Amino acid sequence: MSRLIIRKVAVLGAGVMGAQIAAHCANADVPVILFDLPAKEGDANGVVAKAIAGMKKLDPAPFAAKDRVRHVEAANYGSDLARLGECDLVIEAIAEKMEWKLDLYAKVAPHLKAGAIFASNTSGLSIEALAAGMPAERRSQFCGIHFFNPPRYMPLVELIPTAATEPALVDGLEGWLTTRLGKSIVRAKDTPNFVANRVGVFSILAVLHHTQRLGLAFDEVDLLTGPRIGRPKSATFRTGDVVGLDTLAHVVGTMQATLPDDPWSAHFRTPDWLRALIARGALGQKTKCGIYRKQGKQIQVLDLQLQDYRDSGGEVFPEVEAILKLKNPAEKFAQLAAHPHPQAQFLWSIFRDVFHYCAVHLGDIADNARDIDLAMRWGFGWAQGPFETWQAAGWQAVAEMIRDDIAHGRAMAAVPLPAWVFEREGVHAPAGSYSAAENSLKARAALSVYQRQLYPDRVLGEAPDDRGETLWENAGVRLWRRADQDARIGIVSITSKMHAIGDEVMDGLLEAVARAECELDGLVIWQPAPFAVGANLQQVGEACRAGEFDLLEKMVAKFQRTSMAIKHAQVPVVAAVQGMALGGGCEFVMHAAHRVFALESYVGLVEAGVGLIPAGGGCKEFALQAHAMAQRAAGGDVFPYIQNAFQTIAMATVAKSALEAVQLGFGRGSDDVLFNANEILFAAIRRARAMAESAWRPALLDPQVTVAGRNGVATCEMMLINMAEGGFISAHDYRVARAAATALCGGEVDSGSRVSEQWILDVERAQFVELLKTEKTQQRIAHMLETGKPLRN
Amino acid sequence: MSKQIQDAYVVAAVRTPVAKRNGAFRHVRPDDMLATVLRALVAKVPNLDASQIGDVVTGCAMPEAEQGMNVARIGALLAGLPDAVPGITINRFCASGLQAVADAASRIRLGEADVMIAAGTESMSAMPQIMGNKVSLNPDIFARDENLAIAYGMGLTAEKVAQQWQVSREDQDAFAVESHRRACAAIAAGHFADEIAPYAVRAHVPGEAGTVRMVERVLENDEGPRADASLERLAKLRPVFAARGSVTAGNSSQMSDGAGAVLLMSEAAVKRYDVKPIARFAGYAVAGVPPQVMGIGPVEAIPRALALAGVSLGDIAWTELNEAFAAQALAVMRQLDMDPARVNPLGGAIALGHPLGATGAIRTATLMSAMQRDPALRYGMISMCIGTGMGAAGVFERV
Repeated sequence: MSRLIIRKVAVLGAGVMGAQIAAHCANADVPVILFDLPAKEGDANGVVAKAIAGMKKLDPAPFAAKDRVRHVEAANYGSDLARLGECDLVIEAIAEKMEWKLDLYAKVAPHLKAGAIFASNTSGLSIEALAAGMPAERRSQFCGIHFFNPPRYMPLVELIPTAATEPALVDGLEGWLTTRLGKSIVRAKDTPNFVANRVGVFSILAVLHHTQRLGLAFDEVDLLTGPRIGRPKSATFRTGDVVGLDTLAHVVGTMQATLPDDPWSAHFRTPDWLRALIARGALGQKTKCGIYRKQGKQIQVLDLQLQDYRDSGGEVFPEVEAILKLKNPAEKFAQLAAHPHPQAQFLWSIFRDVFHYCAVHLGDIADNARDIDLAMRWGFGWAQGPFETWQAAGWQAVAEMIRDDIAHGRAMAAVPLPAWVFEREGVHAPAGSYSAAENSLKARAALSVYQRQLYPDRVLGEAPDDRGETLWENAGVRLWRRADQDARIGIVSITSKMHAIGDEVMDGLLEAVARAECELDGLVIWQPAPFAVGANLQQVGEACRAGEFDLLEKMVAKFQRTSMAIKHAQVPVVAAVQGMALGGGCEFVMHAAHRVFALESYVGLVEAGVGLIPAGGGCKEFALQAHAMAQRAAGGDVFPYIQNAFQTIAMATVAKSALEAVQLGFGRGSDDVLFNANEILFAAIRRARAMAESAWRPALLDPQVTVAGRNGVATCEMMLINMAEGGFISAHDYRVARAAATALCGGEVDSGSRVSEQWILDVERAQFVELLKTEKTQQRIAHMLETGKPLRN
Repeated sequence: MSKQIQDAYVVAAVRTPVAKRNGAFRHVRPDDMLATVLRALVAKVPNLDASQIGDVVTGCAMPEAEQGMNVARIGALLAGLPDAVPGITINRFCASGLQAVADAASRIRLGEADVMIAAGTESMSAMPQIMGNKVSLNPDIFARDENLAIAYGMGLTAEKVAQQWQVSREDQDAFAVESHRRACAAIAAGHFADEIAPYAVRAHVPGEAGTVRMVERVLENDEGPRADASLERLAKLRPVFAARGSVTAGNSSQMSDGAGAVLLMSEAAVKRYDVKPIARFAGYAVAGVPPQVMGIGPVEAIPRALALAGVSLGDIAWTELNEAFAAQALAVMRQLDMDPARVNPLGGAIALGHPLGATGAIRTATLMSAMQRDPALRYGMISMCIGTGMGAAGVFERV
């Protein structure tokens, strides 16, 4: 098909979802017109203006950089409907009332541009019924497009075509959503609540049911249903508070109303205690009271036995804890099912009923088992989907356990497992995932957009990915290539724990660069998130304790050598960044010839937190940037640029997106920011190739950098003395920040002096080693190693 | 007593309304503000031969960028004053405008001039940073502990004053509320009407088809005073200069844009141009204090100025004491035992705003206006604290 071009988007409805979808489009350089009702008084766009203003304060932030907000225009249905004619994609995100939606469709349809896509973000209403509200000739351009909250951060978008939707349009939209907005797509069937909410809400109902049946406490259940079973920290009840208990009740209500024939329909009801909470306005986080509430600093939880709140706590029974730690899933499930403790029974029950539910409904709600698993990962943050969990635990053994429970009336519904369950050894296989509707294995979609993902999210049981050909490796890195992509672009991946940078990583990178210079045309530094969490503090801490400052000095010198090797390599080195890139990781990123960021990159020089300064060339790079920027400014003063960098380093600021990282100076305007993290390796290989083939030349060492010098240090110190005297920072904070200022200003030379790049590195290194010798910095390092948290001393 | 050969009289004074930083004057240039008040001032004395003006002494606390290049001379030329009239920009930070009045008076008192203009102009909107275009401190400040306070921000010095003279948060907030109350009442009563030259702000905005559209808006009143100021609202503000401090945005002066101008004459000139003088310039003093408690400066300057004028504090019925911070204003008033009813009867900088170097000239206009309204008001005083630790005070006698 011809390329789908979306120059402008309209979002109808400036509620939580509509506004944030608009913000995310703006993040992706897609201008948006955000519509809502005209305000009853004042500015007619007041409703939308308020929604936009509200988003600026949200955390996590819907906007990836503050200036993105300018690409969202406010409009209202009263006077601006004609502007819909400017938009290639219209996303409707108003309240979940069929008649309201149909009314709106009738009103907007005459104003739509010919060929524009109109899509509803409904979370559960029938897409076919909604499509009927559009004029017949527009129905081929209509589909469901279901985002998850918060839309910038939750990967999942469910696409729901109707029988009339033009297939090429859905394919185009899938490609656009995947690459432009960075979303992960599951095609859903037009059944109530689609895929993720259908299973996710059922899972919550199963938790509610078994919590009550086994008399467990809410905080106890949240301990059990959080990270211990691979689900988000907010687990079940806390998630309910975050989502809003009224919203939760509403979704349950939808299931009750639309799925009367579901074998589990007797359970599609809101428990009395939950209805009572809603009745008295305890709706969760938004009303500051729900299943949990905060009393001062103490978090309290509703206790049904006490009929009151009590301090939250709860614990996991040690034997159950031990079972959960078992590596072998088969053993884990067998032991949970066999253990008499209510917590064990609870866990087995919630898994069993979700497995049972998914097996029975696979045929009606999803194309194949992979879609359900991925939908639960991307939409609900589960580490593993239900089918892959089941399959890993031994498909037939678990199926027998479920059959037995159904037979003995222990399952939530008496409906038998479908016959296909007993005819297979699992649902995921190298050839594809099982489709109950078609009784066959379905391979992944062949859309060209997926060729950009060299390492897509895989479900357990799928064919393993091509790991490429290893060219060289040590304990810290692997140098390899994907000959099918580009045989002469190397990929070097940090393999240490959390990708912390220790001696072996630096040795590895130095060797990888040296080999790339001789044998390859370019090098990409890539590993799955996080990019790197910083220097290996363990090694630094040990050397400190042993008083081996000469060794530490050499370690820092090697750090600098590694950064400089990356920067001055005779082949282009491209950093492909996703997730955290902190401290030394950030410094390597700064030294690369080019950066390919995933939007969700969290980049920063956080050394101050452990009483240190960036000394892998980070300060030096900022000094060089200031020099370069000052060349273009009237007067040529470097200090204003140093001042910003000083604040960034002294406050250990971490960019909350790739766009912010570039704004803070960790990247450059010419860098690439991709919205889909799974595409960065693909893009980085091609970027390295393009650089190698075009005018790229290795960076030269600058022998004459103008620095801010001693007046610059004094001016930074002015900020510090005010913060110290005002009681905002400690004496050691002052000392650390002053060291950063000294390095950034190129040492205490005359302001405006010209020094070499190496001189600044030497200053940076000397300041770093001096700080390491202080007791307070050593205490900070030790505290970080022990607790994982920074110490303020 | 100082020796002088003749007295200097204030014969006219005028000011712009004071706008909030980035408010109505955000795009108004400080040299234009100065030119506007100079034109308005000269217009008040129709008989005056402008070529006889000896000098235009203009105070400005950050004389750089839009208000650099000797803004006094540029403003005089833009105002259409004859080429023969010179101009000088002077800087004593927040006392610059009052220093301009004192310097202009001195030239007359020495017999070197018969007609002088003193002025002040400051656009804090035009300043890219509060501290000017390029901040650069001397490293020696940090080499010796006794010099450290040179680097203190003004808010921090206010915290030090609050600590040393034990001024509570509650007292500071109450003082701020009273400042707004008085200012709002004064505006309602029209007490500023005579001294303010309404300012026509001409905004140049993108118009149709590549044209620039001119939008004019006339500002008649000060923008700062808030009728809704209350203790409850102020109590919610967080201290900004010290983690456990008491100085907030609400009990500090507002950052502002504005200008003022004062015409002074010798007795001979008064007769020559047949004008009615408002007040005699009776005395002026400045004094230094430790920079870390700069806000206490008036405590040293006021007694000296009173002595030079030959009067006592009890004689002063009206004082314009610049409210840089409620903390320092209260500390000064308590130290000198000043009667709150006689200090800032129309509100102060917390409500009315504080365009740094212009404030002295602006408040001179306010005092002159008060003297014209009230025949019983004989002595008035203007005083302020000054960054890096100084105080200034000037005394005027109604004639």
